Amino acid sequence: MTTHKPLPYGDPAHQAAHQFLVEEAALLDAADYPGWLDLLTEDIRYLMPVRVTTARGAGFSTQPGMGHFDEDMYALRKRVQRLATDHAWTEDPPSRTRHFVTNVRTFRHDDGLKVESALLLFRSRGDTRDADLLSAGRTDLLRETTTGLKLARREITADEAVIRTQNLAVFL
Amino acid sequence: MIDVAAVVSQVRRGMIPAHVYGDPEIFALERDRLFARSWVYLAHESEIPDPGDYVVRRVLNDSFIVVRDEAGTVRVMFNMCLHRGMQVCRAEMGNASHFRCPYHAWTYRNDGRLVGLPFHEDAYGGEDGFARQGQRLLPAPATGNYRGLIFASLDPAAPKLSDYLGDFAFYLDFYVNQSPAGIQLSGPQRWRVKANWKIGAENFAGDSYHTPHTHASVVEIGLFREPKASKRKEGALYQAGPGAGTTYKLPPGGDFASQLRYVGYPDAMIPAMAKTWSDQQRALVAESGFMVSAATLFPNLSLVHNWPQIDENGTVRPFISLRQWQPISATETEVLSWFAVDAAAPEEFKKASYKAYLMCFGISGMFEQDDVENWVSITDMATGSMARRLNLNSRMGLAPDGKPLKPPIANFAGPGVAYQGFGEYGQRHWLSQWSDHLEQEPAAHQATDLGVAR
Ligand code: FES
Ligand SMILES: [Fe+2]
Repeated sequence: MTTHKPLPYGDPAHQAAHQFLVEEAALLDAADYPGWLDLLTEDIRYLMPVRVTTARGAGFSTQPGMGHFDEDMYALRKRVQRLATDHAWTEDPPSRTRHFVTNVRTFRHDDGLKVESALLLFRSRGDTRDADLLSAGRTDLLRETTTGLKLARREITADEAVIRTQNLAVFL
Repeated sequence: MIDVAAVVSQVRRGMIPAHVYGDPEIFALERDRLFARSWVYLAHESEIPDPGDYVVRRVLNDSFIVVRDEAGTVRVMFNMCLHRGMQVCRAEMGNASHFRCPYHAWTYRNDGRLVGLPFHEDAYGGEDGFARQGQRLLPAPATGNYRGLIFASLDPAAPKLSDYLGDFAFYLDFYVNQSPAGIQLSGPQRWRVKANWKIGAENFAGDSYHTPHTHASVVEIGLFREPKASKRKEGALYQAGPGAGTTYKLPPGGDFASQLRYVGYPDAMIPAMAKTWSDQQRALVAESGFMVSAATLFPNLSLVHNWPQIDENGTVRPFISLRQWQPISATETEVLSWFAVDAAAPEEFKKASYKAYLMCFGISGMFEQDDVENWVSITDMATGSMARRLNLNSRMGLAPDGKPLKPPIANFAGPGVAYQGFGEYGQRHWLSQWSDHLEQEPAAHQATDLGVAR
């Protein structure tokens, strides 16, 4: 169960959630992926459904049974380990990214805080290619742990049916 | 004007004029001479299981509705209204009994028949003025179905699909016919990459040489079942019919079941494969000791089968992906990547295999990420003047006299021809078909006109 109305901006829980997202974005932009993993719970589910163009009234706008990401901790750790090798060519030279996080709304949830946010990812590679922009909404579940707030679940809703970046070697 | 004959003659000796990977003139020739003729994959029947289910797919820039009509027949129809040309169906998937054109409301049943024409009497003088009876959305000039894989060709004189697939069907079955239930597809993930469409197609047709280096990171983190990427050179590279592909050498001495277990198939799935595959197909695994991996069916459908470790316990699970290199321009491609799994597989296997797929291929896949980086970079290099002065060497595995460096594998259980060790046999096989198409003048087509007396 979640509360229906978002917490007021002045609510300390909202402020903590907002700060969490901003700090997380800073880690991602600094490519501090081990630091980013520390923000996740062991039972993390990190999901990015595939959006599809469907008729109004079709009742669905994601591809059933398929995601761009559908990760547990093992899968995310492998991704981070890979980026740490000397052979992850797609990120060498690295992308320059900026995660813009906005429209943050926090709701109380049985299992912690449900946080919605809008994300704009700017990704620039090399010196000849056009930069990529990825716009998405995110719904997160933040859980209070002994070491502070952690991300237990993230669902990323891309705003495009056909993603315009060469790969998702970056996190959203 | 480009000298096609000169380009093709270079390609035929294994030297590839580099500009073909970024040249708008070549792209126009591919549109008119290749995609206007060749069989092109569109969809799999499992994507449209029920009456009215449809997906919208393209052959280059021609949009088709692939729909199962009320009688259960799969139809492929050009997605352009017969009246003034509006796109009839603007969703990419869904279920519909009818398609109504948003412009003037001409309405088509899901078998393509024109059933609604507002003010027929007032506007046209009824049937005499516009014969509505018998009109339907333009069907694809030719369609074919192989084990649920739906193809179209823009050439009404295309050979039958089964004749076209020929010996490649033998290899296709390892991916799409693991049990009588066939495969089910999920997806596709779709994304655009600034790469020429040919590069991916060629890579999957036979580039085992890139694995040790391009995919070094994946081996390093222990995701890959094979401890050394150099194991790639022990695999067989085969060319058969319009397709070509790569395989891995399986451990010595294994029988059919143990080899399937080695790549992570659970015991529950093995009897079906033993039964569904022919003696010869089983022999490729058991006697020859090879397991299919990447492949390309000319022109732009690729397949992949691989078997990573999907958890801390080292559980190995295989996955299958179908992927299409959908050309957008000389320098841009839309990738469509599906996850495929035997429809009769245990649910637990399907889940594990899906996880294996996502970690390895598709937009976030750790193999695919580095592949695409290469392809974008090649395309970037191919668009300038200098690329017109460079013929890329695609002669790996050939002696100076043009003969293969070593003989084909003797007693290879599969049809076609196969070689062991590194060599660009599959890429040349693909490029030779590409050359065949580019050399031919485009076919002349008759336009259909409707509703008027002839
Ligand atoms: S264009 Fe479709 S009804 Fe006129
Ligand atoms: Fe690769």
